[in-house]
Amino acid sequence: MNIEQLPIINLLLFLLMALVIPLLKRRPFKLTLILGFIVLGFVFVSSGYLLWYVNNIDIIHYTFGGHEARFGIEFIIDPFSALFTTIIAGLATIIYIYSSGDATEGIEKTEYGRYYVLLFILLMSMFGILYTNDLFNTYVFIEILSITTCAIISIKKKKDTYTAAFRYVMMNELGSLSYLFGVALIYMATGFTNITLIGETMQNAYALYPVNIIIALSFMIIGLGIKAAIFPFHIWLPDAHSAAPSTSSAILSAIVIKVYILVFVKVLFRVFNIDILNEMNISTILLVLAGVGMIMGSVFAIAQKDVKRMLGYSSVAQMGYILLGVGLLSFDGLRAAFFHILSHGLMKTALFLSVGEIIYYKKTRKVNDFDGMGFIMPVAMGVFSIAALGMIGIPLTSGFISKLNLGLAVLDHNQVIFLVILIISSLLNVIYYLPIIILAFLKNEKYRYRMKSIEDTPRTMIAPLILLGVLIIILGLFPNQVMILIEAAVNSIMS
Amino acid sequence: MLILEKIIDNINYIGAVALFVIGLRIVVTHSNLIKRIMGINIMGTGVFLFFVAIGNVTGGIPPIINNNQINPVYINPIPSVLILTGIVVVVSITVYSLSLVIRIYENYNTIDQTELSKLMSEEDNEH
Amino acid sequence: MNDIIIKNITRIIIPFAQAYGIFIIINGHISPGGGFAGGAIVGTSLILYTLVFGREKGKKKFSHKTSEIAESGGIMWFVTVGLIGLFIAGRFLTNLDAGFPEGVIGDILSGGMIPLLMIGIGIKVASTMISLFNLIIDEGI
Repeated sequence: MNIEQLPIINLLLFLLMALVIPLLKRRPFKLTLILGFIVLGFVFVSSGYLLWYVNNIDIIHYTFGGHEARFGIEFIIDPFSALFTTIIAGLATIIYIYSSGDATEGIEKTEYGRYYVLLFILLMSMFGILYTNDLFNTYVFIEILSITTCAIISIKKKKDTYTAAFRYVMMNELGSLSYLFGVALIYMATGFTNITLIGETMQNAYALYPVNIIIALSFMIIGLGIKAAIFPFHIWLPDAHSAAPSTSSAILSAIVIKVYILVFVKVLFRVFNIDILNEMNISTILLVLAGVGMIMGSVFAIAQKDVKRMLGYSSVAQMGYILLGVGLLSFDGLRAAFFHILSHGLMKTALFLSVGEIIYYKKTRKVNDFDGMGFIMPVAMGVFSIAALGMIGIPLTSGFISKLNLGLAVLDHNQVIFLVILIISSLLNVIYYLPIIILAFLKNEKYRYRMKSIEDTPRTMIAPLILLGVLIIILGLFPNQVMILIEAAVNSIMS
Repeated sequence: MLILEKIIDNINYIGAVALFVIGLRIVVTHSNLIKRIMGINIMGTGVFLFFVAIGNVTGGIPPIINNNQINPVYINPIPSVLILTGIVVVVSITVYSLSLVIRIYENYNTIDQTELSKLMSEEDNEH
Repeated sequence: MNDIIIKNITRIIIPFAQAYGIFIIINGHISPGGGFAGGAIVGTSLILYTLVFGREKGKKKFSHKTSEIAESGGIMWFVTVGLIGLFIAGRFLTNLDAGFPEGVIGDILSGGMIPLLMIGIGIKVASTMISLFNLIIDEGI
């Protein structure tokens, strides 16, 4: 067995795990959980090994069936895809451990098996999107991802989840069909679906068929923008993410929408090259979308009474930060965006999981009911505070590092207005996160006589939360090691 | 005349784009959920037609090896094969969203988006 | 439905429809058609049976458990064939290099692994069609 077989083995392991779960229906559920953990652990280790391999030895090209890249499907494992698959595998493992602590809130017992089937297919499609080097193959994986996401949203058999899921299906289908239209136009102009080959012929194609390329680019920006919840196309996100069970909200908000923005980065930098983008002045469009999203997402978040909807709108604002980094179309911008993808992934996971624990034990999702919660559930509320402070961008957390990098990148490009927007958005974050923290730890009227009921939760739920809190702080204190990996990823995507 | 010739040459593409736009309009403007699903299907058909039309070669034959033909001109089979996958995807999306509509109808007794929003906001106010 | 004409016609049609579907599946690599088209025809014939004779009888012919096993089995078969290529020739889904016989162009037994894959896809598509239909009428999604 060769090292280059590892990516496909990762995908197949997820797929086989999803197929095996229904067959294990009669066995105790613990068996499924342990098997799933082994699979996830193996994939995490193998993608970590791949990350080391591609950074130190060589990039892996894997063609299916030994066909040439122009006929067949090609996987490329480079620092970019290896880094983000490792991040996804790590976050998914943490969320998986948490969800095994019997906290898949609101799902009926008989549906547990189906939930894990969906989870593993979701992971498979995300790995596929990152590994593949083929536009049409990306489309297929995107569709698998959106169907499983919808199913995971509607798995709670409640009224509002159905309407949320329906809206999600419609919006996402608009997005993927737009993306497919873009692929068709590019195929028309270049004759390839392989990303590397398209990238090589793009300059010629642009000279010959400029209309095709411009329309294709705009269709792809809109399609992937809808899927990544970039500001004017975000309307499906808060409903969908707040209706889903907490663990899947964590996956959706922390990982899934990031995968779409990574596809977006791939399309921008590998399919269309920077010269064409500069000529069309795409940068300005993206920056304006990002700026509006950063402000408006936070403004909407302030108005929310439901804590999970608030987190959903906060995701919209954070996607604006990431798009701001991408939209600068430069090394620094991408570096900041990639770092923010990682740090926001950690923080959003921590926020959703701690809120999930509170919802599970106290059965409340109103922001007002969080008063005094810090005395009853110190761990959950503590991790919530760390993550929320990170969102605001307090030093010592990873959020500070990403905002610092973003600010420096923006200044490099003389876009001072966006620095102002960044600061305003951070202040708006303060308005909706800080009161929760302060009231949770300082206002102890409601629960004064109930100090006995201090949180009594399974260790499988506490441990991932503590791990996330520690990771956020470690990433805030020592970002350099990770930064090296991220710079390698940026170099591989820009070359 | 030149315009007319251009239209006839590109009739496949024009038809495909027209279907796409019709579908988009249905999805965005109609409030009936079933009609929206139909809109998605029409949009999908538009994109698929566009894709298949790219692979068309005037005077080409299906790319099946046949010894009777001398110097055959084949059409490009790759777009058709790709679109097969696309059709599967749209079928599954349709099935899934129809089942969601069944559920919505059971719970709210309506499949009209405007009435649905009204019912949902009333429920929100009660809480 | 208690219409005798429909029942009798269905009884006559279904074998032909299924034979036609299977024909398309196994001729998939040498003519238009293939696993998806053939599987859809087979699945549709089963749906027709359920529509005409009712859910109970349909369940007897093709139960939920059978369709579940067939669905998983279809993918498993595909993956297994792909893995043969991986272990022998070092690439997932390798065809001729992995020792699958090429045969004579135009024969049923040609094209290496492709007929095997077509059968897997056909089983998967047919069982998915029928189980999606059953899920919707049972409202079990």
